[in-house]
Amino acid sequence: MEGLKLWRLSSSFAFARPSNFRQLFGFGASSTPLLRCLTTAATANTRNRRPSTSTSTSDREAVRAIRLKKVEQLRSQGLEPYGYKWDRSHTARELQEIYKDLNDGEELDGESHRVSIAGRIVARRAFGKLAFLTLRDDSGTIQLYCEKERLLNEQFEQLKTLVDIGDILGASGSIKRTEKGELSVKVDSFSILTKSLLPLPDKFHGLTDIDKRYRQRYVDMIANPEVADIFRKRAMIMKEIRKTVESRGFVEVETPVLQGAAGGAEARPFVTYHNSLGRDLYLRIATELHLKRMLVGGFEKVYEIGRIFRNEGISTRHNPEFTTIEMYEAYSDYQTMMDMAEEIVTQCALAVHGKLTIDYQGTEIQLQRPWRRETMHNLVKEVTGIDFTELEDDLKVAKDVVLKAIGVGLDSKDKTSIEACPSLGNLLNEVFEISVEPKLLQPTFVLDYPIEISPLAKPHRRHAGLTERFELFICGRELANAFSELTDPLDQRARLEEQVRQHNKKKAEAVSVTDGTEEQKNKNEDSMYDVTLDDDFLTALEYGMPPASGMGLGIDRLVMLLTDSASIRDVIAFPVLKTSQ
Amino acid sequence: MAEPEPASSQTLSNNALKRERRARDRQAREEEKMKLSRNRTTVNQRPPMANDDAVDPAQYLRNRIQRLTLQKESGLNPYPHKFEVSMSVIEFIDEFGSLHVGEHIENTEISLAGRVLNKRSSSSKLYFYDLHGDGAKIQVMAEARHSDMDENEFANYHSGVKRGDIVGLCGFPGKSKRGELSIFPRSLVVLAPCLHMLPKHTITSNSAGAQSNHSWTPGTTRNPESYALRDQETRYRQRYLDLMLNPEVQKIFRTRAKIISYCRNFLDNLGFIEVETPAMTMTAGGAVARPFITHHNELDTKLYMRISLELYLKKLVIGGFDRVYEIGRVFRNEGMDLTHLPEFTMCEFYMAYADYNDLMDLIEKLLSGMVKELTGSYKIKYHGNGFDSEPIEIDFTPPFRRIDLIEELGSRANLCIPKDLSTETANRFLLEACEKFDIKCPAPPTTTRLLDKLVGHFLEETCINPTFIINHPEVMNPLAKWHRSKPGLTERFELFVNKRELCDAYTELNDPEVQRQRFAEQLKDRQMGDEEAMVLDESFCTALEYGLPPTAGLGVGIDRLTMLLTDSPNVKEVTLFPAMKPQG
Repeated sequence: MEGLKLWRLSSSFAFARPSNFRQLFGFGASSTPLLRCLTTAATANTRNRRPSTSTSTSDREAVRAIRLKKVEQLRSQGLEPYGYKWDRSHTARELQEIYKDLNDGEELDGESHRVSIAGRIVARRAFGKLAFLTLRDDSGTIQLYCEKERLLNEQFEQLKTLVDIGDILGASGSIKRTEKGELSVKVDSFSILTKSLLPLPDKFHGLTDIDKRYRQRYVDMIANPEVADIFRKRAMIMKEIRKTVESRGFVEVETPVLQGAAGGAEARPFVTYHNSLGRDLYLRIATELHLKRMLVGGFEKVYEIGRIFRNEGISTRHNPEFTTIEMYEAYSDYQTMMDMAEEIVTQCALAVHGKLTIDYQGTEIQLQRPWRRETMHNLVKEVTGIDFTELEDDLKVAKDVVLKAIGVGLDSKDKTSIEACPSLGNLLNEVFEISVEPKLLQPTFVLDYPIEISPLAKPHRRHAGLTERFELFICGRELANAFSELTDPLDQRARLEEQVRQHNKKKAEAVSVTDGTEEQKNKNEDSMYDVTLDDDFLTALEYGMPPASGMGLGIDRLVMLLTDSASIRDVIAFPVLKTSQ
Repeated sequence: MAEPEPASSQTLSNNALKRERRARDRQAREEEKMKLSRNRTTVNQRPPMANDDAVDPAQYLRNRIQRLTLQKESGLNPYPHKFEVSMSVIEFIDEFGSLHVGEHIENTEISLAGRVLNKRSSSSKLYFYDLHGDGAKIQVMAEARHSDMDENEFANYHSGVKRGDIVGLCGFPGKSKRGELSIFPRSLVVLAPCLHMLPKHTITSNSAGAQSNHSWTPGTTRNPESYALRDQETRYRQRYLDLMLNPEVQKIFRTRAKIISYCRNFLDNLGFIEVETPAMTMTAGGAVARPFITHHNELDTKLYMRISLELYLKKLVIGGFDRVYEIGRVFRNEGMDLTHLPEFTMCEFYMAYADYNDLMDLIEKLLSGMVKELTGSYKIKYHGNGFDSEPIEIDFTPPFRRIDLIEELGSRANLCIPKDLSTETANRFLLEACEKFDIKCPAPPTTTRLLDKLVGHFLEETCINPTFIINHPEVMNPLAKWHRSKPGLTERFELFVNKRELCDAYTELNDPEVQRQRFAEQLKDRQMGDEEAMVLDESFCTALEYGLPPTAGLGVGIDRLTMLLTDSPNVKEVTLFPAMKPQG
């Protein structure tokens, strides 16, 4: 019925052609989600268009001064405006649930219906001898029904003069559903638990300043309870991931954040200095190399959920610190990890949505297993028509073929990247990233990456030049990266040394170029850090690491997917922001 | 003896790289030959078998690499991609542990994998191995007559299996005549060779010592002196060797995982939500400590590593989360000793509408429940005074002792501590008290530090069993709320166990005006030269102005908790890869 009401309001089409009405009604169930999208989009638009309604600084200061006076007033009456404790008997949601069948206008006054609640006042209407307050706690809202006669002493006056929207109140009383159907606590005593000094943003327009929403997340959460829901879902997802892997015997471990050498990925690390050791330390850019040491040590299934740090650009998809789960299982190969990825993502989707067909930013995503598994070669061939298996070893010729096939419409940045590819494997990957990645909306395992770009993956057991590696893509975004782990210490050393060589070459080029375009400069700046060999890791491999597969999965991106969030900032409680106020 | 050549792998790698590439190309061409079974074929030019223990470690490494290279050149892959195990070693023990002596179940086919930590042979037709997997051990009895290899092949292959190698095997279960649970393999394959000579195992697999290793449980004492690998530097720097050779060490880290998991379940069941707050921030607040500083390149700005989780978690309570917690890494740029490392793990939780009395009850329940579940009793044994002294007993039976800081200090030190501690006079009084008892206080002697030293000397020393020291003076923590009935004090407690602080908790200060004043007082200490005094966090004060409900919060050190339950007097025992001083 809710859906129908909305249709009436938003669609004159239904009225104009009543013959379709019945049909529309019949589709009610399936059209509801669509409607939800439309309405949220509309709200978002109005939010953006409306001029800022946040109170100006002078207003804020005035409110603050008035409320500080109230603080003094309360203290002069012997009341503490910052209470110590409140015993709650129920949360708002519990009451709504227990008394859902209470009839309009009905009251329950018995001893067994005396309740006590606490929360923030988010709305208030006061009449002569009656006041209605809306109280919100972290479970939901409930109305406080305050009658002058029922409150002790001067409490009604206090309520009218000293309580503001934003204050945190504890209240106790009996239960009543108003004639209008609002479940209420009929208050016989209350206590101001925390006097708020600053006004909340306008209730109806929320927080308009997007930057402020992230910077003062708590205000955003007070104004928009659905923001808090994202973080509840995030907690739910974390719990579900842990449950899934632990039920398979994985043990959680903690490996160092501060390291002598940052390895396991190609990324610019943060550097810090330890005073008492008198040396530089790097913040980890992956947990991989230490978790593999655990396999050498005899753990057969380990995982770590932890913060990773990369000193790189900030965007809607990148925050300098983010959370991953990395897991390693002895005696298995990358096929095992594909099953694991499917298992984790579907379990989380079921925990959050209760179903496997979900909506992400207007695209319907089907998470039903099994997911498509296709090699990078085949996907590139499918999308671009280029068959890399038929290309000769001549890199120059290969680049010409690529540019001929996909060059039209490419921007100069992509063209430069293609020109700069040092090997056929890099070229294949570049074409994949440009042409295929954005098209992989439904869950897809991309298999068998070139060896040149996979320094920690085991050579493919059947195809020379490739590795047993996959990445999982959903909605055009990489969600997981996994391989049959390289266990040969000699091969590993050679590959890591090659990586250092390549990096140093890039760095040397960057140093030699003093002028150039802004873009070039940025690119150069990107490689101006040191990459060192983690010798201890190589020694560990020499002691023998069992055949194993491992996977890293980006938890922030998974939360984005499952909460329909467009930006990583929506799923990180306190993201790093570009400009500081 | 061969030429003393450095065992450094750099020198090996150039040649090894070329050879290895060649081998890999060949491998690709001969993909048919890559079947696992082919791995069993022996390599002709095997280096002569010598008594491995007599060989110099560098020579040993070179021999093994040479053998590896030859294997690759002959088109074999010494590092197979996968080995299908049908059960873990522990499951094997569970399932077949009750077999009778001499009983064999020949019609069952089991595949297991693990590391060989002991090898014996009585003839070229019979080899014994100790196979270790996921913290458990069984015997492998490889007999030529059970093998699907012929006798020559069998002898050749098994003579090449070395202590430390990871092997996979298929065979049937049984108990030897001596009653040892064993697997009798029909096939055995090396999955990853161990190129280094392992430190000598001093304890044989059958000795009682090894048995007791396997039976260590949380809450009982350990004896690292009995470990196969004893050298502390090696144990911490190469933890994988420690885990491999000292089975108890794996259990320490499994216990650590259980402790964290217990905390999570306990809090989840009370409706707490787990959240993640930033590890890198613009100001480092919430504790008294020196932070790590780093630099964000693109923003061109200085960032601090968090020294506590407190301020962000309180912001979330302001945002409407009534019960939140985070278990996360915290960083402090300070010296390292037996109980301090630059990074460690904290669990902090915040509970709206509760006060510090509630949290004393809650943490009592959490800790006593955890100790009981993990050890089976409320009492644990702990080498509180180091491994060379007798272990002490610590009793977690609730309720824990509670002592009032000022009252107890007054009576124990026979001092009449001034009520107003913010004055110069009070500072002088405490300074004189410290001098009188010959208690050293590092400069600058702020009132906070002097009190801290006195408490350390007179009260903490008495706290072996869990003890709450409660009601600290205001000067000792700017984030704790003033006591509702005792002027000058705060509603705070610290929980001490074995003289060490394990938890710090308080009714949270939520009056923004008072919070600003407290920060201002910290500034005074800073100006006196106390660099660790807390800095004003303006964004936190603003958040308080939106209203923090009455809330109590608690922080508990996961590392210290793990130390207690695993009889580890050194925090490095419970940290997988602890920070170490650079090797000289």
